[in-house]
Amino acid sequence: MILAVLFANAEGNILIERFHGVPAEERLHWRSFLIKLGADNLKGVKNEELLVACHKSVYIVYTVLGDVAIYVVGKDEYDELALSEVIFVITSAVKDVCGKPPTERLFLDKYGRICLCLDEIVWKGYLENTEKDRIKRLIRLKPPTEF
Amino acid sequence: MAQPLVKKDDDRDDEADYSPFLGIEKGAVLQEARVFNDPQLDARRCSQVITKLLYLLNQGETFTKIEATEVFFAVTKLFQSRDIGLRRMVYLMIKELSPSADEVIIVTSSLMKDMNSKTDMYRANAIRVLCRITDGTLLTQIERYLKQAIVDKNPVVASAALVSGIHLLQTNPEIVKRWSNEVQEAVQSRAALVQFHALALLHQIRQNDRLAVSKLVTSLTKGTVRSPLAQCLLIRYTSQVIRESAGNTQTGDRPFYDYLEGCLRHKAEMVIFEAARAITELNGVTNRELTPAITVLQLFLSSSKPVLRFAAVRTLNKVAMTHPMAVTNCNIDMESLISDQNRSIATLAITTLLKTGNESSVDHLMKQITNFMSDIADEFKIVVVEAIRSLCLKFPLKYRALMNFLSNILREEGGFEYKKAIVDSIVILIRDIPDAKESGLLHLCEFIEDCEFTYLSTQILHFLGIEGPKTSDPSKYIRYIYNRVHLENATVRASAVSTLAKFGAMVDSLKPRIFVLLRRCLFDSDDEVRDRATLYLNTLGGDGSVVETDKDVKEFLFGSLDVPLVNLETSLKHYEPSEEPFDINSVPREIKSQPLAEKKAPGKKPTGLAAPPSGPVSTVDAYEKLLSSIPEFASFGKLFKSSAPVELTEAETEYAVNVVKHIFDSHIVFQYNCTNTIPEQLLENVTVIVDAAEAEEFSEVASKPLRSLPYDTPGQTFVAFEKPGGVPAVGKFSNILRFIVKEVDPSTGEAEEDGVEDEYQLEDLEVVAADYVLKVPVSNFRNAWESMGPDCERVDEYGLGPRENLAEAVNAVINLLGLQPCEGTEVVPSNSRSHACLLSGVYIGNVKVLVRLSFGIDSSKEVAMKLAVRSEDETVSDAIHEIVASG
Repeated sequence: MILAVLFANAEGNILIERFHGVPAEERLHWRSFLIKLGADNLKGVKNEELLVACHKSVYIVYTVLGDVAIYVVGKDEYDELALSEVIFVITSAVKDVCGKPPTERLFLDKYGRICLCLDEIVWKGYLENTEKDRIKRLIRLKPPTEF
Repeated sequence: MAQPLVKKDDDRDDEADYSPFLGIEKGAVLQEARVFNDPQLDARRCSQVITKLLYLLNQGETFTKIEATEVFFAVTKLFQSRDIGLRRMVYLMIKELSPSADEVIIVTSSLMKDMNSKTDMYRANAIRVLCRITDGTLLTQIERYLKQAIVDKNPVVASAALVSGIHLLQTNPEIVKRWSNEVQEAVQSRAALVQFHALALLHQIRQNDRLAVSKLVTSLTKGTVRSPLAQCLLIRYTSQVIRESAGNTQTGDRPFYDYLEGCLRHKAEMVIFEAARAITELNGVTNRELTPAITVLQLFLSSSKPVLRFAAVRTLNKVAMTHPMAVTNCNIDMESLISDQNRSIATLAITTLLKTGNESSVDHLMKQITNFMSDIADEFKIVVVEAIRSLCLKFPLKYRALMNFLSNILREEGGFEYKKAIVDSIVILIRDIPDAKESGLLHLCEFIEDCEFTYLSTQILHFLGIEGPKTSDPSKYIRYIYNRVHLENATVRASAVSTLAKFGAMVDSLKPRIFVLLRRCLFDSDDEVRDRATLYLNTLGGDGSVVETDKDVKEFLFGSLDVPLVNLETSLKHYEPSEEPFDINSVPREIKSQPLAEKKAPGKKPTGLAAPPSGPVSTVDAYEKLLSSIPEFASFGKLFKSSAPVELTEAETEYAVNVVKHIFDSHIVFQYNCTNTIPEQLLENVTVIVDAAEAEEFSEVASKPLRSLPYDTPGQTFVAFEKPGGVPAVGKFSNILRFIVKEVDPSTGEAEEDGVEDEYQLEDLEVVAADYVLKVPVSNFRNAWESMGPDCERVDEYGLGPRENLAEAVNAVINLLGLQPCEGTEVVPSNSRSHACLLSGVYIGNVKVLVRLSFGIDSSKEVAMKLAVRSEDETVSDAIHEIVASG
């Protein structure tokens, strides 16, 4: 299960968050835990360089893209490798929508699109689509090309 | 040249100054949402409003029921628009709003229409939305379409239906299970993702049917799986099948191993790693099976991707716990990871190295860790400290290097938890490695010279008071302790005074000087410090006469209060200041709740200072205190050993009972810890009726019933037996719990007047030879063995019959003898054909025992063992042989 996908700006404010199967009362803890993790480790990290951590039986893979920090949390079958796959799809979709690693402003400008991408990528905690070209078409309701 | 640069900066300023959602407000956005109702829909504007609504929801904003309903109804109007982009947004918005059951009906017809649309993408999205908001009744209506969708030639539609199936399986399993034919077909799909989703669903549908899963795995491992993700799933299912079929094969070859090994050569790293991990986790994996997996993991260690490095080192870390030798090949790569930027990776590498290291590599390793420690966070440091502690216990001869390391890091910056971990480790090493005692105590002394944590200072002072006087030169600690009286806060000063008094009581030669110091404390600014100083001066005879300290005084200083602290606290709270002094004898001695902790954390070694005074001694102490408070048992003498609790009931029965065997020289006491798990019952007069028919040498001498056992409050009852002194008498006892049961009214908690007598059968209990042996480690086995000398040595050989492997035989003998394995010799490398194991301990009557075991296994798995025993008494050496011969 992919427990959470979270986007935050450089100051640690949440831009988008999606939790799956995490009780509402635990979300705040996760949010602050992830933001702290990012604040401690993301300084000076290159775009899309993956960082990884585990907390009990839960794995976390996170990175920066432009001004935005992206965190993906998973457990069981979504271990660090599967999550790196997920975050790769997310970063490439975001780059695709924004045309480059986004500034916070650009990210917010494309907010609706990004939400749609996320909707295509993670569906209630499961990875659904993995290819950026396909996602690009799907969010415009166009069928994928390969078929 | 300057122009574009300036322009770029301008852009940047603009971006930073203005957010498209600046000043966004829920009320205003809800107003804006009225555009959804316009007869002439402006698709662009509608999309913008939806984006704003999404932003609000993502920021944690909530809509009231009315607001949500209003927005939902408005959004449904947007189905009229032909604009594709808007339609996509509408699908998302409906899912986000998750409408209630009575509202869903508004959109179902629109969605059903889309689900049968000629446009594939409408179909896919409608399926996902419908499945998200649907309930059971609607599902039966659309089931037909969903089944078709699973085998739709458009992979997006098929995936949408399959993933929906995975979710619906949680809520409507019986419906989804009917789709297995379609899902099976989809597993064969040429589209990678469809195959992945179909495989996941198919496995979930069949997960409770072992045979079906096994068939699925068998057929797929022979065929081709396109998607690497699906391949990973298949590997996981395969290892599940292997686990469940363990032991069923006659040939000894592991089924599907070849498949797993083949996956190690897959082109996707994900698959390679999954296979490698699956192999390392196989039950009883052999070195031959492990080698190829370790080789690929080793390659990953030097990968440029941090995630791969992390995954590999994490897996190798696990392997190192069971097969340390198999991982040693990777040590060089692992060492280079110590400087990895990702500290999680570095810590895992360090702890793996600590596990796989041998005695000769310790020094080299410590040098590397020293550099590493300065730049990791406390939580990682704690992990390293714990690993070093266990390394030191494994190689006691290396204590000097390891203790030095610990004392060095103790001086560096760090938080409380980290410092506590270090101090705990030093205390454990002092306790388990006698040679390390003096240097360890000095390290602790130096630490309290500059310790910012009151808690740690007081704990160390307490520990010094117990251990310091027993060293060869106790005077050298006094300076450190007395410095505390000058430099610290009142709490630390007070403990320093107590510690000084303990030195005075134990070391007569120091007494006059201690008195001088204690007298100076009489002028302290704090009441408690002055009171303690006065008290100790009086009890120790501070009038200047140097006499040997009374036994009573020592008892007062070192003995613990023989009343439970909780009871003392309650009594003190109830005590009202008056002319009559508080009488400690008025404190009830009955322990209300027996230390449940020992039950909750089975096998967990108590650590360091946290459990006062320290380590396993604390449980023994607690037992000793408890038993000596019972007059019937007071004459039994010194407690030799208390066993770990043995459960006499199954888990989750009405009454939970476990028993602790307390061994005295010529008595044995069974302590039955009982818990009543029925809220509606109160048990009274609880006893255990013990039948010792199969334990001839034992005769019952006393029984102490438990007066009352309310719900969920553990209590104890005791039965004592007499046995021949110093002899390891063994036998089997059957137990029946007898009590009077009273009904309790759950609403008032009051019990009825009358009760009924009842009995409850418990499991049998055995007293075995190992109960008469204490596990006591020695720091240097060879020295101990040589110094014991061959006078009372007894050597013999035994055949242990056919065994699964050597490890099993070694374990069985260790458990039979109940001695402490030394120098990590209890770990048997897998597949080895011979093994030597060293054990030490103390036999009843306080006789030291050392044992050397040499094992060999032949091709027919017959195990032979040579047993050499040295002890201070030849009858004891014989007795050890007797245990093995009769075991």
